Amino acid sequence: MAAYRARIKEFHDVLNEDQINLKRLKSMCFNGIPDEPGSVRALCWKLILNYLPLSPSKFLSFLEKQRKLYSSFIQEMIVNPGKQHFGKSGKIDVTFEDHPLNPNPDSQWVAYFKDNDVLVQIDKDVRRLCPDIGFFQRATEFPCQDVVNAAEMETLRKRVDCSVLQSHTVMKNRQGAYNWKSSKKSTVEYDLLPDGKEAHWEVVERILFIYAKLNPGLAYVQGMNEIIGPIYYIFASDSEREWSEHAECDAFFCFTNLMSEIRDNFIKSLDDSAHGIGNMMMQLMNRLQLHDPDVGSLMVTQDLKPQYFSFRWLTLLLSQEFPMPDVIRVWDSLFADSKRFDFLIDVCLAMLLLIRDDLLKNDFSSNMKLLQRYPVFDIHLVLSEAVRLQKS
Amino acid sequence: MAKKTYDLLFKLLLIGDSGVGKTCILFRFSDDAFNTTFISTIGIDFKIKTIELHGKKIKLQIWDTAGQERFHTITTSYYRGAMGIMLVYDITSPKTFDNIAKWLRNIDEHANEDVEKMILGNKCDMEEKRMVSKERGEAIAREHGIRFFETSAKNNINIERSFMELAEAILNKTPSRDTSTNHTNVHVSQSSGHSSKCC
Repeated sequence: MAAYRARIKEFHDVLNEDQINLKRLKSMCFNGIPDEPGSVRALCWKLILNYLPLSPSKFLSFLEKQRKLYSSFIQEMIVNPGKQHFGKSGKIDVTFEDHPLNPNPDSQWVAYFKDNDVLVQIDKDVRRLCPDIGFFQRATEFPCQDVVNAAEMETLRKRVDCSVLQSHTVMKNRQGAYNWKSSKKSTVEYDLLPDGKEAHWEVVERILFIYAKLNPGLAYVQGMNEIIGPIYYIFASDSEREWSEHAECDAFFCFTNLMSEIRDNFIKSLDDSAHGIGNMMMQLMNRLQLHDPDVGSLMVTQDLKPQYFSFRWLTLLLSQEFPMPDVIRVWDSLFADSKRFDFLIDVCLAMLLLIRDDLLKNDFSSNMKLLQRYPVFDIHLVLSEAVRLQKS
Repeated sequence: MAKKTYDLLFKLLLIGDSGVGKTCILFRFSDDAFNTTFISTIGIDFKIKTIELHGKKIKLQIWDTAGQERFHTITTSYYRGAMGIMLVYDITSPKTFDNIAKWLRNIDEHANEDVEKMILGNKCDMEEKRMVSKERGEAIAREHGIRFFETSAKNNINIERSFMELAEAILNKTPSRDTSTNHTNVHVSQSSGHSSKCC
């Protein structure tokens, strides 16, 4: 306990310096950031993801600038288009020269429909984000005021609803009379929150939508939701209100920074390039062959291709392989890794070596199950094995 | 070394747009349960179920793929080895139905010529949200000479049946090998340790 308190104090000391020593902070974070008190991890992540400046005296002016910028993104990409298309009367003025069937590629409507395609995809995924914890279904304490208060605006949630038309089935009964078939209420899968409130998943949806708009070449790729999820979760659960209130904006910029380093994993055309996911999977297999030739050749003879399991491990930074608290602990180390994400391959290798005895015993299908649903392990065991491999 | 407890192994593949319910269909078939809270499939997922058909134990190795375009390079590599492909759309989403043509082209490009195909219109429990009529589904299936079912993973409609029919179609065109040859193979692979490829 004393050691734990000493560790927390050490973090506070480093964080309270006039000029934060990033190298030192990273090496401390690599060994795990204390879970308590609530603010330390969020602050550390904001620093090691190169978001906050290293001198705390500059935090305020910096954050003010970023938050203003983010709020202008919301205005420009969500509030204004939403107002334009929803209109005061809720109807669109079709006499306006641009209209929904305008084939001109510059038509705002064309852009609007294209955006909706991206949005529908994001919506499907954020609604099913981290179902094992209730967090994302709950209402945020800090809904985006620009969005929920703009009564005559089409929110993203409504935009998705609009793209799915309501219909009724007409039934003919035995007497030949036509009837509306009654709609069952049970079809609403998610409890929508009343107007003025927003669930955390809606905030995540907005972050991803703005990211997609700002990065049209990449837009939205499935799996990005699993990257933003834990970051937003940590920031929004910050015990200090002045931080948690701005979790959306801060998470957006940290996500953007993180994506700039891992975005190649999400780009199909880079799969076989030096930076793409194909190369990372190959590195993992080569190192496995080196460290454990038995398992390495088993992978070949049983045809356990790295795409079958490590594609997901590497692309999502292991966020689907472990429960949330463990993912967060793994990310402390990944974000703090000096050669960022080399350590990710070490962790994946450690995961394989820890189950080597089972792998060697099993047939193909049992091994597939084992690799795709990784057994519960003490995460510290995985990490210390990874550190051993990193040094070897 | 696990004992071979089956006579034949069929490799199946589930494809279709994201969110149409591929994972739910597979979960219903393999675990006989339904869960609305599935996370999105990234890359490829995998399940095994052993069924019995005409006195033969058949092990189904079923691959569940991610729907989004980005994952196609990863997922199309599975087409080649698949003996049966289930192409799923969502009857409440016309777009997923329109994309069937695209998925069929993918099959033509990447799968074996004699692969058994089947089209499933999923979520048929959501009648009040239906946007694609059963007739349209039947028509496109007829046009391509493919079997068709409307299914509901939620209400367990036609799930078992569609997998069984697909397996049966594959079985019918499997040359009726003498089972003893199979056993020989098993012995060979057992004696050579963990080198079995046919699982």
